[in-house]
Amino acid sequence: MTRIARSAAAATVALCLFSGAALAADAEAGKAKAAVCAACHGNDGNSTDPAVPTLAGQPAQAIATQLFQFREGNRQNPQMTPMAANLSNADMNNIAEYFSGLKAAPPKHQTSAANAELGPQLTKKFNCTQCHGPKLLGQQHIPRIAGQQPEYLRAQLKGFKASTRADLDGNMTSAAQALTDKDIDVLVDYLAGLGG
Amino acid sequence: MRNVVAAAVAAAFAIPAFAQAPASPPPAWHQGKPPAQSESTLHPFAPHMTGRSAKDLPLDTLKVPAGFKVEVYAEGIPEARSLALGDKGTVFVSNRIAKNVYAIVSSGGKREVKQILKGLNSPNGLTFSKGTLYVAERDKITAYEGIEGKLDNPGEGKVVAENLDPDKQPGHFWKYLAMGPDGKLYFNHGSPQNITMPTYIQAAILRVDPKTGVVENFAQGVRNSVGFDWNPKTKHLWFTEHGRDWLGDDSPSDELNVATRAGQHFGFPYCHQGDTLDPEYGKQRSCKEFTPPALKLGGHVAPLGMKFYNGKMFPAEYQGNILIARHGSWNRTVKQGYDVMRVVVDGDKVVKQEPFVTGFLQNDRADPPMWGRPVDLLVMKDGSVLFSDDYNGIVYRVSYSRK
Repeated sequence: MTRIARSAAAATVALCLFSGAALAADAEAGKAKAAVCAACHGNDGNSTDPAVPTLAGQPAQAIATQLFQFREGNRQNPQMTPMAANLSNADMNNIAEYFSGLKAAPPKHQTSAANAELGPQLTKKFNCTQCHGPKLLGQQHIPRIAGQQPEYLRAQLKGFKASTRADLDGNMTSAAQALTDKDIDVLVDYLAGLGG
Repeated sequence: MRNVVAAAVAAAFAIPAFAQAPASPPPAWHQGKPPAQSESTLHPFAPHMTGRSAKDLPLDTLKVPAGFKVEVYAEGIPEARSLALGDKGTVFVSNRIAKNVYAIVSSGGKREVKQILKGLNSPNGLTFSKGTLYVAERDKITAYEGIEGKLDNPGEGKVVAENLDPDKQPGHFWKYLAMGPDGKLYFNHGSPQNITMPTYIQAAILRVDPKTGVVENFAQGVRNSVGFDWNPKTKHLWFTEHGRDWLGDDSPSDELNVATRAGQHFGFPYCHQGDTLDPEYGKQRSCKEFTPPALKLGGHVAPLGMKFYNGKMFPAEYQGNILIARHGSWNRTVKQGYDVMRVVVDGDKVVKQEPFVTGFLQNDRADPPMWGRPVDLLVMKDGSVLFSDDYNGIVYRVSYSRK
């Protein structure tokens, strides 16, 4: 009897810890809402399409912020704009929590030896590491770019440079102005092959 | 004649060629970072644009003085920024990065949040006067007359002033707005960058007469003020001001200033905190040229909204005090702020300052260090005080009871 009581208590503690970890939002509710996302973003949030971003392991705030940008019409995309149109703020937080909790798969992209050497120089020179973090894993509203799909990265960098990609605070538009096409090639090849 | 035309053509071609030269302007907050700080990874924090639910937040960690109580007044107002109170009790709430204005309507003990304006251009500034809500966007100020009678369809409004961002400046383009005792609308026009030489319209507090649309420069040398109010005793304008970044954790201090007349210069970009010359722009200048702050508020604490307390609910010693919302530091290795401060004044002199609402700062070395960020304050008719939190999209209420 004592033993049963004790394990019940242990289960309660475990439950509290779990709900504590999931404080910000409801990942289970997010999973249910996210069923439609799998067609493009992959079953476990790891995209296999070079033009579609991986969502697994992204900071939750970064995902919610982009969904918000799509719904508000600041960022436009034929696939994503209608997807985000009917999501509430709570839905966005829950979906973000779900994808954030999934593990990012090791990247399939192979960086060339030359770009593996040049890449870290460029991420420092162009201040990528200042916001995206020393390992480029993202933080808060800033996305993880290590191991991201290459053509998605390329399209975003070109969009920022052309001032056509929505930017919450102007930082990426500003940072991308100095990039040459060659710089973008190097960054894309380097980042897409970078593991966590 | 032909030479003149040729010269004009040459000049026309010269301009775009010249404009291409500086390829990479740094972000406004990053500008002016000296080589000694090049390894610093300090960065501003962005709000949760989708808001966070109050039930998921550690509200019980908030602390107020004995007898006071802090509670959630309304939630679900993403990026809740400036506050204004309508004659009929409507609380208006603005956005800075997002594009909406909200109304919190209370009836029969129930509170409802409505989005009343959308698609605006950084509509940070809000003030209410004689039935009219004035909204300051990045580039213009618009009057919405009789708005409390038509919250569901406020219409297009009437433009009071426009062309307020002629340079489309990269930073500090959001405006605070308040109606002065002279019937003019006061608003800030921040420095376009962290540290730079402003134009005549920048780094200033301006005012516009809503009857004529004529804009005047009221105070100069103000890097960016996102909160001001008039001392009911002296009728003078008090305002908060953010100091420049990248000179270290404690330098310079952010400021609380008082303008005793039009035309004063408060130092930016030459002199900071009344006594510290800028390493670049302060060369060959003296701080004696400029009006010093009434109070140093601390390095990078980011003071935003401030209000004189004139309500009937708080203890008598709070009458005429200033409450200041401090958004909290980012350009500091050990974080501070993220609170509401109480400043006791005597006329236009500061007597003392002390914390009023604390607890948002959780770990001063963490990233992020806080779970909430106070933005603006509002004294309600019953004497309670509301303050907004843009990080979570929540408005809190502080009340007092002798029991």
